[in-house]
Amino acid sequence: MPSSRFNAFTDYGIGIGLRIPHYQHILEKKPVVDWFEIISENYMVDAGRPLHVLDQILEQYRVVQHGVSLYFGNADRPNRDHLRKLKRLVKRTGTPWLSDHLCWGSVDGRYTHDLLPMPYTWEAVETTAANIREVRDFLEVPLAVENVSSYAEFHMSEMSEWEFLNEVVERADCGILLDVNNIYVSSKNHGFDPQMYIDAVPADRVAQIHVAGHSKFEKYILDTHDHPVLDSVWKLYARAIARVGRTATLLEWDDRIPSFDDVHREALKASHFLPHEAVAA
Amino acid sequence: MRPLRSDEGMQREWIDGSATAEVAEQFIKPNDRLDSFQRLEIYNQQYWWRLLGNFAEDFRGLRAVLGDAQFDRLAVAYLHDYGSTSWTLRNLGSQLERFVRERPEFTAPHTSLVIDMVRVEWARTIAFDEAEKLPLLPEEIRDIPPQSLRLGLQPYLVLLELRHPVDKLLGKLKRQGEIETASLSNAVSSGRPRRRGRLTARPQTKPIYLAVHRQNFSVYYKRLEAEAYRLLCAVRGGVPLEHACVVACEATIDSPEVIACKMKSWFAEWMSFGWLTKPA
Repeated sequence: MPSSRFNAFTDYGIGIGLRIPHYQHILEKKPVVDWFEIISENYMVDAGRPLHVLDQILEQYRVVQHGVSLYFGNADRPNRDHLRKLKRLVKRTGTPWLSDHLCWGSVDGRYTHDLLPMPYTWEAVETTAANIREVRDFLEVPLAVENVSSYAEFHMSEMSEWEFLNEVVERADCGILLDVNNIYVSSKNHGFDPQMYIDAVPADRVAQIHVAGHSKFEKYILDTHDHPVLDSVWKLYARAIARVGRTATLLEWDDRIPSFDDVHREALKASHFLPHEAVAA
Repeated sequence: MRPLRSDEGMQREWIDGSATAEVAEQFIKPNDRLDSFQRLEIYNQQYWWRLLGNFAEDFRGLRAVLGDAQFDRLAVAYLHDYGSTSWTLRNLGSQLERFVRERPEFTAPHTSLVIDMVRVEWARTIAFDEAEKLPLLPEEIRDIPPQSLRLGLQPYLVLLELRHPVDKLLGKLKRQGEIETASLSNAVSSGRPRRRGRLTARPQTKPIYLAVHRQNFSVYYKRLEAEAYRLLCAVRGGVPLEHACVVACEATIDSPEVIACKMKSWFAEWMSFGWLTKPA
């Protein structure tokens, strides 16, 4: 949705990820970019260059935080020390909303640093929703939960991924970060119709959309964020926009990162699919 | 997550001796292209490639000392015993010095150099983003008698006593990297990649005292004289300044006049660096 309680009633357009190879260009050339997404964990440090750069970026640009280690789907409750550090960053950036993934990633104090797929069970719905509510109440900003790319499914699942997502966000009363590339990747790996997924999500909860590239292997697709966005993914994006309306859109490019101009140019392709309105160049 | 096989596939035997494929089939669905084992293997591989890649990035000097093969064996063994216990990969190497001391067989015959290299490269991590306090101003301590004056040091400042000139080795590695980057941009493809030289150094007869610190958001190494190192360590230990100076100079061969002159110079430099703070 263009403006809702899940993105703090903002109206953000097309953004890109803030990445180290682009720091110098951004700080020197000050390109016009509607907003940047930062990976929270890269700036959850006590001092030093990362925060120095971030503060300079915050003087000129709007920033939204995206995390990779809250692990809403963990069996354990959220780590309080982690939440305290994250909240310090939230106050620093003034992020209008914060996102992280519908996944698990650690157990018994050991971290995988991966976004592991959930078993889509009713028990997991309750645990995940409870964790999201706890995180949202602690951070005091709207939360959006992102669907992940996955390469495995579990026998114990009792529903589809999109049904699971819907149940979780309803119980947690949170927003959705709809990653259409992840939907495409998962649809190829698991053999479902990606349009069915797009059509099933509650449009009024979509706070943000991700687009990205991926890598094709012989028997599966890997979510690598190191290629331009495939036409098939843009088609899914168009379908999502048709359902949810003009929504904050972010291009993820995290590996083999080309120049800032190349990444930004790729992101701005999203404007072809947005309802007619002036878009910042 | 158990280490990959030598061909980078997942272990075929589970921890209880049963077949991993049978275990995977119990909870992972196959699809029309991949069986349960293969689907689980994707995650197993991604885990190890991610952590090993991050580890290699953080310990480039160590890799240059050991060479690729021995470094990889060390990394896998270390990550198997001391896997990540933090939500951030920044802390992945925090137990490496301990592991190397516990398991010297993985670094022989370079263990002594490896320990020094690991300590410096971990110190780089600390110096890069550890907390920073307000630097001390001269007027804040002017009226406090030295016998009761306690000072603090910046949390990002790491003090090391080494046996090997690791700072010089890392400088050499950095220059090698700059040369390679420059040559790659102009090179005509010739097929085989150039082999990087290994880093090596003999232990020095005298200790090397090194400060690893941060200035203008970049990490620097600064060699210290023995007395300066001991003085900073004493300050960090909460010893009142006057006694810290006495302790630092117990074994000095310099005359009192020379030491006094040196101390004045050291303190001026440390204040300019912002190293000194109020005590904790």
